[in-house]
Amino acid sequence: MMRAVAVGPPLLGGGVLILGWVALAAALQGGHLVAGPAEVAGWITTNPGLIGRALGATLANAALGFLAGNLVAVALAAVAMIWPRLLNLVSGLALVVFCLPLIATGPILRVLMGPGDGPQIVLAALAVYYTTLIPLLTGLRATPAVWLDLVHSYGRGRWSELIHVRARAALPYLFAGLQIAAPAAFLGAMVGEFTGAERGMGVLTIRFMRALDVPALWAIAALAAAVSMAVYAAIGALARAVLHDRPPVILAPPRVMGGSRPERVMQPILLVAVVLVLWWGAMALPGMNPFFAKSPLDVMAALTTAPQAAATRDTLWTALAETAVFLLPGYLAGLILGAGLAVALVIVPNLSALVMPIAVALRSVPIVTTAPLIVLFLGRGALGTISLVAVMVFFPTLVACLHGLRQAPGQILDVFHTYAAGRLRQMAHVRLPAMLPALFAAARMSVPAAILAVTVVEWLTTGRGLGSLMALSASVSDYNMLWAAVVVVTTISAVCYAGVAAVERRILSIYAPEQVRR
Amino acid sequence: MADTDGRARIVCTGLSKAFPGGLRAVAPLDVTFDAGATTALVGPSGCGKSTLLRLIAGLEEPSEGEVRIDNLTPARQRSRGAISVAFQDPSLLPWLTVRANVALARKLARQPPDPVLVEDLIGLVGLSGSEDTRPAALSGGMRQRAAIARALATRPQILLLDEPFGAVDELTRRQLARDLPPLWQPRGTTTLLVTHSIHEAVTLADRILVLSPRPARIVADIAVPLPRPRGPEMTDSAEFRALVTRTSEALAQGDADNAPMAAQ
Repeated sequence: MMRAVAVGPPLLGGGVLILGWVALAAALQGGHLVAGPAEVAGWITTNPGLIGRALGATLANAALGFLAGNLVAVALAAVAMIWPRLLNLVSGLALVVFCLPLIATGPILRVLMGPGDGPQIVLAALAVYYTTLIPLLTGLRATPAVWLDLVHSYGRGRWSELIHVRARAALPYLFAGLQIAAPAAFLGAMVGEFTGAERGMGVLTIRFMRALDVPALWAIAALAAAVSMAVYAAIGALARAVLHDRPPVILAPPRVMGGSRPERVMQPILLVAVVLVLWWGAMALPGMNPFFAKSPLDVMAALTTAPQAAATRDTLWTALAETAVFLLPGYLAGLILGAGLAVALVIVPNLSALVMPIAVALRSVPIVTTAPLIVLFLGRGALGTISLVAVMVFFPTLVACLHGLRQAPGQILDVFHTYAAGRLRQMAHVRLPAMLPALFAAARMSVPAAILAVTVVEWLTTGRGLGSLMALSASVSDYNMLWAAVVVVTTISAVCYAGVAAVERRILSIYAPEQVRR
Repeated sequence: MADTDGRARIVCTGLSKAFPGGLRAVAPLDVTFDAGATTALVGPSGCGKSTLLRLIAGLEEPSEGEVRIDNLTPARQRSRGAISVAFQDPSLLPWLTVRANVALARKLARQPPDPVLVEDLIGLVGLSGSEDTRPAALSGGMRQRAAIARALATRPQILLLDEPFGAVDELTRRQLARDLPPLWQPRGTTTLLVTHSIHEAVTLADRILVLSPRPARIVADIAVPLPRPRGPEMTDSAEFRALVTRTSEALAQGDADNAPMAAQ
């Protein structure tokens, strides 16, 4: 079964990665691309104060954000369980907030909260709460109906369900979510630091990228990766100590649109209405500076009736097109490579012992922190950006697809074994169909992640597309443009997510009907 | 309300259940289950026996008609902790030990803890020594026995057993059929038992209702006037075998009535 969560493989993976790193550094010696482990260790020992303070600041912010984001996720999940009617609205709102581009949220929070650690903490929390909320909701709802019948047969209601059954049944899912959340919090804190903090790993990243200080960049990426892997492994170890079953690989099925047809039409409309009201309400709070705090009406006006509305729209369209050119190939490549490698690993099982540990180790790395390295290798052009998006999508897809392939029903496989059907035939008839739900779950969850990756790289390096536009608008205080870009990115992100979910529901209704029932 | 000795009478009036999509599981049914009696429900697979049990427990809402337990709704009786169900699936919580699973029922029914009773019940179902084991380490039959102990832990007035011995091996099954009834019968617990085993029905019940294929209708109402306890010598008796034969014939008859084409 899934060995991915044991302690051994990640450690082994870390070891293999270091060996590969040594080999890479030796091969590319003198090319000013790779600083080997020795060089990085040397750099760290000569700058212990600098890197130590930065790491301390980022870790503190990430930890606070991790705590806050997860508390919010737990509270939202509890609300959705006690008042099931709110479930759709809560998860819809959570998705919209998760789709907010951190690149824009950062500067906006900076203006709102002023200097200090506030924005980093909030961004870390924003990066975390959704990756916890979704597994948690899945776990809370995945409870077998008979367990709930047991509670009902003694005349108890939702509270007892939650306390005696659901909360405990969801624990493995919560831990799986927390594991993924740890690197996400680190990533959120670093993105927050990109947008104008005084201290932290993100600040150092920007500084050394400008100076093209290769050993320093490698040192930062290596430290970020090591810390994330350690926390990921620690949460996994904690989970194994607390639970006697291992944390599941999360394949949250898409939200089932409940109710009648009018209800299904009403739900998205209600969601949009609530989002607009909340936005408008927040901007109307006392103390909000109208120069900066734009309401839905302001954005609407900037895009339609304002004198420069046409120019604004043009700029947005151009940026959107530039982003799409990088985003789509990267996203698709990540999905195809992830699913393809998963298939290869099942057909050639020996390969899996080598690849899986590396994949698990890399999955726990906040990918965006490696952006400067990928850019060092592949340049500031299309290839670097596309690769980063692909890497961001690749690892979750690989892990999910492997899980799906291994979930192929044993009894059906036994039928194939009776006829001595080979691996390829098993793959085509049993395993691939069994993998589809996992592939689509990964595709859906990867949409916001891919958009985050592409906007961060655009802003850090390429200077094109929506990411760059948002950063530029923030730096020249063009808040109409900034808010408009936020609306565009969030809408696209949420609509693509919903679009993948719609395709997913159709596929699942054929290949995994039990997942879309209820 | 229930009598002082905890007996409760179940009255179903015009009770029927149709599922969305038109599948009718239970035909309009008028039946009374006397207080303190054990009634076995036998019928072909998928005939709606389990649905009937769930209707009586109030876990399903009837499409028409009603269930009254001492003039109260099942929901009222459930919230008083008067009902216990042993489900077809043992539905033990995997993170709790056997002891904690059994004790959980009392917690859910808002009854004070009773470690002695819990310990006794675990012993009676033959799980002594497994108190601190988690369900995953138990065999299917052991899980079902733990679920039965749990169902008895609240000293229910109404005990609903949905094929409680399905995964139990034949020997243990007969032993349980002999040892378990003394746990509830002297207390006057009104018991409904869904089973596929005619032997089990005759051993355990005071009355056997034979149900037709879906939608469930009563095709025979057979009294079982055998004395208790019903040990091995009883099951070899002529009366016992006569009851088994009568029940099998009623089952076959119900099947034939419902499938006139097949009978041709």
